[in-house]
Amino acid sequence: MAQDSVDLSCDYQFWMQKLSVWDQASTLETQQDTCVHLARFQEFLRKMYEALKEMDSNTIFERFPTIDQLLAKACWNPFILAYDESQKILIWCLCCLINKEPQNSRQSKLNSWVQGVLSHILSALRFDKEVALFTQGLGYAPIDYYPGLLKNMVLSLASELRENHLNGFNTQRRMTPERLASLSRVCVPLITLPDVDPLVEALLVCHGHEPQEILQPEFFEAVNEAILLKKISLPMSAVVCLWLRHLPSLEKAMLHLFEKLISSERNCLRRIECFIKDSLLPQAACHPAIFRVVDEMFRCALLETDGAPEIIATIQVFTQCFLEALEKENKQLRFALKTYFPYTSPSLAMVLLQDPQDVPRGRWLQTLKHISELLREAVEDQTHGSRGGPLESWFLFIRFGGWAEMVAEQLLRSAAEPPAALLWLLAFYYSPRDGRQQRAQTMVQVKAVLGHLLAMSRSSSLSAWDLQTAAGQDTDTDPRAPAQQLIRHLLLHFVLWAPGGHTIARDVVTLVSPWGPASEYSPGMSSPW
Amino acid sequence: MESLLQHLDRFSELLAVSRTAHVRTWDPVTVRRALQWARYLRHIHRRFGRHGPIRTALERRLHNQWRQEGGFGRGPVPGLANFQALGHGDVLLSLRLLENQALGDAARHHLVQQLFPGPGVPDADEETLQESLARLARCGSAVHMLRFNGYRKNLNLQEDSLMKTQAELLLERLQEVGKAEAEGPSRFLSRLWERLPQNNFLKVIAVALLQPPLSPRPQEESEPSIHKTPGEGSQALVHWLLGNSEVFAAFCRALPAGLLTLVTSRHPALSPVYLGLLTDWGQRLHYDLQKGIWVGTESQDVPWEELHNRFQSLCQAPPPLKDKVLTALETCKAQDGDFEVPGLSIWTDLLLALRSGAFRKRQVLGLSPGLSSV
Repeated sequence: MAQDSVDLSCDYQFWMQKLSVWDQASTLETQQDTCVHLARFQEFLRKMYEALKEMDSNTIFERFPTIDQLLAKACWNPFILAYDESQKILIWCLCCLINKEPQNSRQSKLNSWVQGVLSHILSALRFDKEVALFTQGLGYAPIDYYPGLLKNMVLSLASELRENHLNGFNTQRRMTPERLASLSRVCVPLITLPDVDPLVEALLVCHGHEPQEILQPEFFEAVNEAILLKKISLPMSAVVCLWLRHLPSLEKAMLHLFEKLISSERNCLRRIECFIKDSLLPQAACHPAIFRVVDEMFRCALLETDGAPEIIATIQVFTQCFLEALEKENKQLRFALKTYFPYTSPSLAMVLLQDPQDVPRGRWLQTLKHISELLREAVEDQTHGSRGGPLESWFLFIRFGGWAEMVAEQLLRSAAEPPAALLWLLAFYYSPRDGRQQRAQTMVQVKAVLGHLLAMSRSSSLSAWDLQTAAGQDTDTDPRAPAQQLIRHLLLHFVLWAPGGHTIARDVVTLVSPWGPASEYSPGMSSPW
Repeated sequence: MESLLQHLDRFSELLAVSRTAHVRTWDPVTVRRALQWARYLRHIHRRFGRHGPIRTALERRLHNQWRQEGGFGRGPVPGLANFQALGHGDVLLSLRLLENQALGDAARHHLVQQLFPGPGVPDADEETLQESLARLARCGSAVHMLRFNGYRKNLNLQEDSLMKTQAELLLERLQEVGKAEAEGPSRFLSRLWERLPQNNFLKVIAVALLQPPLSPRPQEESEPSIHKTPGEGSQALVHWLLGNSEVFAAFCRALPAGLLTLVTSRHPALSPVYLGLLTDWGQRLHYDLQKGIWVGTESQDVPWEELHNRFQSLCQAPPPLKDKVLTALETCKAQDGDFEVPGLSIWTDLLLALRSGAFRKRQVLGLSPGLSSV
């Protein structure tokens, strides 16, 4: 408690100084500085209120002799009054200063002063004498017409921006860069006020004709923050503009998504899909520039986590959502595939992008062999200097989880000799960096497991234990090693497809789960593992 | 129903009293009760805003009150402005009480506590009074900031946001007053003319006459039948202008040519009077042989340039108006003697100036100088 009060005193000094410098926030510098500090100042006000509400007026003045100056300065700064809930908290603080029963003239004067400041905050600052006289003459109070006035001003500014955007050649009516920048600064505290949405949208979408960015970065940050926290609702076109114009915002949006995925405990695919769709990133990624940035960040995440299955799952869901969004786009405005995947051979991209479910059962083997060929070619052919080598191709392949599923199913359902092409595909999927020898070894291992599984599928009774032994699962080997993951995948598939497999499903899952037998995992959810 | 109407009456009185020194006698209990009534009526407004009969009954009651005072705004202190005001009657009352110096300390303290109870559980249903007041403060700051950091006066007055807002308010008020009594709008407008800064008032009238048909106000829920008669306010304005020649003269004098042309195109009833005025102004000018220009005799006479300006603007208006103007000019010219030589009749000179102006314009635009309707 004592530490808190010391902190508060320090903060108090800091903010008192800041407010004195800001004054009424009428210059560019003071406005910028105020914008940057708005959120923190509001936090400070909250802390102050918590402290003040416990004390009576006299005690308050003993503790903070200049409190009246601090509050007054804050009230005369329109940026502070306009921000979020600051005006409310300021009012609460002011109310704490009122003496219920004033004992002397000083206390009475204080009460009058507080009343005056409250009136100032609420009287909706009159600026135009003529307008004020007119509205009064008509019998209207500010509460009657201020919302309408705000709406008219916002719409008028928005249409001016649009005209400026479309009409660049008419230099007389151009909006000067200073005015644009000023407008964007002024919007920062107002972002969460719904009446101002049309103006925010217009500022984002109408980018005028200057070669460099004019709008203040604080503006972009504030809008992005509001979008991520769902405090504003803007059309998709405006969000795309924001992310195209201000890269840090896009990066922040991705990080926000990652944070959500990490912090939420048990992520089933449905929830991942929800988070991803919610983030608006798949729709935005229809614009190739945004797609590339998102792609890059996913790549980094994969490399950092060494190909963690959770990241792979996220990428797959994202790609799915992205393709859905792309489908809905206006066909004429759609970009060519090459713009999204510039470093991939077009034939490979085309074949992978088709929906696995569209391939008729009879053609599975052929399609998969074709994919395997193309991939193998891309991976093993170093001479073309393709960027990233095998990882590039792998990155493309893992995006589309459906193919790996199809391979597994094809291998398990067919009684014939497993084709090398398919084995290669599976081995590549789980372990892209293997050398030729290592991969060949994995393929042999998998072939053996397949053999065992097929033999077991013909037997009448199955037990989880037998299955595990057959698969050569060892408690010593690292469960997360790629080969182990592959085998686990096959086991799970087997359990799903083999007749009688369902009975031992639960047991199998418990036994082979990478987190050990104690974890709960209900089969029947489609998942890569 | 009757009790509801009585509530309305009492609240109107309350609102009126809240501005006066009478509040000196109020104690905390009175304050609390007043706020409760306000909240009750706000609730009524929310529930029955769309309900035709109840709303009509309440409005009629308000109109009665105005009639008793001798017309809207005639009473010593403004009461409830209209039915919408019930939706934020609590805010109105609160602000008046807050600003009233006469309120006692105990009552004031209680008022402040009621208005700003502090952080608490937000009401899911309705916005609390505290929220409304905070939002008003926020809105006010927003307007202030936009005004000083982004707003620029639009040279086309009818598109200027400040002007538009004033015009919308005027039209709305006129419609209300018109519902209360038939002659209401004219008397009301005359009173405003006496009280308000006239220059601004005239501009607002012009902008009001150019507004598209009235749409429902932002806070109002859209009702199908009640407020949908567009143009009533405009009609009242036109009627009043036509009935007050000195006002109309000031109107035509003060406003720019382009604006007047737009207004007259939109409201054909005004064109004969406007043309009449212009004709009068023209006849007051005489030709100064030495200087070679048309001049007036008194300082307040409209100079030649302005006259020419206005006619030029009118000639650029779309057909019905344009033709009327030209016909009028030709008639005047004929009455004067149908001279073709400049310096004898102002109408001849005007027509000559307009024709050459039009010719030059055609040249500039690259149009053929062939068929000219002037």
